[in-house]
Amino acid sequence: MTAKSSDAVSLTSATKRFGPVRAVDGLTLAIPRGQTVALLGPNGAGKSTTIALLLGLLPPDSGRAALFGLDPEQAVRQGLVGAMPQEGGLIPRVTVRELLAFVAGTYAAPLPLDRVLALARIGDLRDRRVDRLSGGQAQRVRFAMALCGDPDLIVLDEPTAALDVEARREFWDGMRGLASQGKTILFSTHYLDEADEHADRVVVLGHGQVIADGTSAEIKRAVALTTVSVTADGESAWLATLPGVRHMEIRGGRVHLRSGDPDATVMALARAGAVRGLEVVPAGLEDAFVALTTGKESV
Amino acid sequence: MLGYVRLELTRTMRDGGYVIFGIVMPVVMYLVFTNLGLAPGDRHDAAIYTMVSMAAYGALGGAFNNGSGIAEDRAAGWLRQLRLTPLTPAQVVAGKVVTGVVGVVPSIAAVLLAGVLVNHVTLPPQRWLAVVVLLWAGTVPFSLLGLGNGYRLSGQSAAMANIATMLTLAILGGLWVPVENFPSWLRAIAEWTPSNSYAGLSWRIAFGDVPTLRQAVLLSAWLLVFGVYAVYGYRRAGRRA
Repeated sequence: MTAKSSDAVSLTSATKRFGPVRAVDGLTLAIPRGQTVALLGPNGAGKSTTIALLLGLLPPDSGRAALFGLDPEQAVRQGLVGAMPQEGGLIPRVTVRELLAFVAGTYAAPLPLDRVLALARIGDLRDRRVDRLSGGQAQRVRFAMALCGDPDLIVLDEPTAALDVEARREFWDGMRGLASQGKTILFSTHYLDEADEHADRVVVLGHGQVIADGTSAEIKRAVALTTVSVTADGESAWLATLPGVRHMEIRGGRVHLRSGDPDATVMALARAGAVRGLEVVPAGLEDAFVALTTGKESV
Repeated sequence: MLGYVRLELTRTMRDGGYVIFGIVMPVVMYLVFTNLGLAPGDRHDAAIYTMVSMAAYGALGGAFNNGSGIAEDRAAGWLRQLRLTPLTPAQVVAGKVVTGVVGVVPSIAAVLLAGVLVNHVTLPPQRWLAVVVLLWAGTVPFSLLGLGNGYRLSGQSAAMANIATMLTLAILGGLWVPVENFPSWLRAIAEWTPSNSYAGLSWRIAFGDVPTLRQAVLLSAWLLVFGVYAVYGYRRAGRRA
């Protein structure tokens, strides 16, 4: 079967316009099976539209979306996909158990209900009415709906948005378990530390296009944001010409060099005998993200 | 799809609006009309005539309520969630239609039971059977009209449109007050309504007459019109995803 050899997710030059706005603009993305991928981007970057295209909720204006080599709708119908949209999906006047039993029943080989309740940590809510849950509880029920069919691909749009710190930690523990079973997981988030910690791969979107794609370490490297700083000593302008340095700032008697190749920068500093009070601080993904999405740096 | 119908019926039975307007109100109105001498004819005839009227009225309430549910589901993102399960769109639509068709049964049963148990209505078995089947099957055009509104309009306005349509059809169709008591111009209009043909089929059978061809043709024509409307509403809703 061709589906076995295909990527879990594949978007090829996908474009979606809403009036004059190109929400997704010629986006190409392939996710092999088993990867956990974070889709990162500011509001309006096209994350939710990208997810809607690849789930078949919206047809692309041009280009192609496929899941496991199949048309997205077909893949959904075969029970290969579980998804949690950014909001909604809960109905009044049913209990958590009734809702999940129904969703599970639409799949050919669902997870046992107790397992789903445990994974989403909602065992104590099973007989509660869905319309009487708190925001965080409702979010976990929505997550449970995405899991109950035991799908190979799990797509989550901003999964932890309504969760507190403790619930987020528990959520990611559960996700790690699923990832270790070989599930393919695609999630969008605006929590950069989550992308950094929990994804094998980070895809940064801006204006409907992929503007960076790699491990979080690669992305941080690519945007040249490791900061090498030394104590200033007299005339320092020449430091800006050292290998790897892209930006220099002198602050509080210290020279801060932002370098794309910190190894080379440090070696050059050493050769020049300028190493005094050396500090090397790798950038957080947040800095990389801001740099990428404001377009000040290019990858 | 059975799971979907079961889930939807569970929700319907827990819907206070449905229970009050679809079951309790018609029964209460039936008992009030027949026992305060507000219904036409002698007491037994009135009990039969009004039983059919109120069963039809309750069934209309249930059928339209089901349509309003669609708009509510769309607003809640439930239709999108369903599209993310292996259910096909056709199964979802069929499930909702089945829910509507089954959901009117308690309304009809409640009023007919009140007729038998409280007002001691007696009919030959084959007339009972014909009345039940016609009252039941005849709700399909109204279910389709309600679904059309539910697909075409947003949550709040769909519910308003459906309640307004339901009451207009019930009153104009002679379910509350027989059209014989209407001024002649209003009666002329009333006799073109789907609700009048719908109840009319069962009125005639209940009193041992054969339904008129006009009633059968008219209701079938409305079935066609509302069916086209529901398909139109569904297609429009689909484009907005």
